[in-house]
Amino acid sequence: MSNLVVPALIQLLLFLLIAPLVTGILRTMKARLQTRRGPAIWQPYRDLHKLLRKGMVIPDTASWLFSATPYVVFLTAAMVALMIPMVVTVAPLSLFGGVLAVVYLLALGRFFMALGGLDAGTPFGGLGSSREMTISAIAEPAMMLAIFTVAVSANSTNLTEMAKFAVSQNWRFLAPSQILAFGALFIVLIAETGRIPVDNPATHLELTMIHEAMILEYSGPYLALIEWGTSLKQLVLMTLLVNTFFPFGLSPGWTAPGVAIGLGFYLIKLLLLCCFIVLVETTNAKMRLFRVPDLLAVAFILGALALISTFFF
Amino acid sequence: MHFYQDPQFGNRMLTLMAAFVLVLQIAMVGQRWLITNIRIFAAQSFLLAGIANTIAYFNHAPHLYIAAFLTLALKAVLLPFLLERMVKKIDIGQEIAPLINVPLSLLISGGLTTVGYVVAQSFHRPAEAASPASLGHNTLAVAISLFLIGFYMMISRRKAFMQVLALLCLENGLFLAAISLTYGMPLIVELGVFFDLLVAVMVLGILVYRIQETFDSMDVSRLSRLRG
Repeated sequence: MSNLVVPALIQLLLFLLIAPLVTGILRTMKARLQTRRGPAIWQPYRDLHKLLRKGMVIPDTASWLFSATPYVVFLTAAMVALMIPMVVTVAPLSLFGGVLAVVYLLALGRFFMALGGLDAGTPFGGLGSSREMTISAIAEPAMMLAIFTVAVSANSTNLTEMAKFAVSQNWRFLAPSQILAFGALFIVLIAETGRIPVDNPATHLELTMIHEAMILEYSGPYLALIEWGTSLKQLVLMTLLVNTFFPFGLSPGWTAPGVAIGLGFYLIKLLLLCCFIVLVETTNAKMRLFRVPDLLAVAFILGALALISTFFF
Repeated sequence: MHFYQDPQFGNRMLTLMAAFVLVLQIAMVGQRWLITNIRIFAAQSFLLAGIANTIAYFNHAPHLYIAAFLTLALKAVLLPFLLERMVKKIDIGQEIAPLINVPLSLLISGGLTTVGYVVAQSFHRPAEAASPASLGHNTLAVAISLFLIGFYMMISRRKAFMQVLALLCLENGLFLAAISLTYGMPLIVELGVFFDLLVAVMVLGILVYRIQETFDSMDVSRLSRLRG
């Protein structure tokens, strides 16, 4: 039993600690690229600390859904964090359907977030929820196609099997199907984590905001849980992206040196992905809401092409 | 043997470049800015030259180097340059109203790609190991898709200018099909096609300019109205 619990604890701890850091690094790098000084990369930790000590204001109209949402968002993200390979090919927790469970657990969190936004009873919450659901409804097929591409070549939807297969293949990331699937998943990542050009993560003062509109009524510890859960979800998606397509340095088992090397490689890969995301965010303008389906259609087509080319090339 | 002499590696690079050619073609369908479209076309031609070069290297077919060089010089540099100058002269940056909206166009081109793959499947022999001679056979699907999507672009775009670009893409598809099935057409045919294309684009450029001057628009649907 302990050989199951210890890895799970280590991975959960790593995820919980790294997630705010990634958000901080993204913010700082973006600020530097725009020749601003930006906050320190530790700022998200300070924010979480501050929020956890504060009192809460809960709208009179809110029902139990409003208070359940932060827990659901945080717990689904934490559970998903246990189900994907991070520094070791073996994921600590494996549920029915593997990667499908991952996708739909994240969808469950998003669903509750939308409910929470509606429950507060402000017009902004409803606006944000409806936009979020619209975008996720179009992003989901693209994500599934890209994931199926990887699953078909690994012959399994189990993430541990997929990671093992990815490690066993050299230069696989040069195959067209992998690159197309990577492109599709990257666009989905941008859409799901609410980054430019889909949503602007830096502000809650815009009429076109999506994520921030939903959580406008949350404050104190609830807000902290949601923020933490959101950055956790972002890290989970980024991990999925780097580890399925660039599985360098994944350790085959839970040994101390293996984990250390795996962690080093993992952090380098994350940093590179962060650079890429920041570059995309800085060089693009935010899209009009009605243009977002165009972008997601591109992701869908890329995913479909990826799936086709696994069968033909 | 270095890794770059391994036919397996050549095969990987070819399929990779072919996939990018296809992606660029679909990007062109989704893109409405004329200048961006021209640059996408230039990038596509550049990759095509790369494909021709790779096949020439692995098959020791020197005349393909010439075809690759011509592709690079004409389609990746000269034609985009001419077309960009034309766009600046006409001074219309963007296609305002495509006949079919962008997501649907993308879906249709995805469907056309599937058709291309299905058609090409009868030529595909996965049982044969990757040898220099069979290199690039699997890019036939991409070539057919380029061809079909080029046709689709010609039909679905209103601007005469985009139709010129669609013609060029269609020709790219033909070129890719020729080099993927055989080692390219004989050099003299290849040269003929290239200069034909160059002249065609120049004539079409003048034509587009005249349409623009006469009708104050590049919309080809205006051409159906007779004017005395």
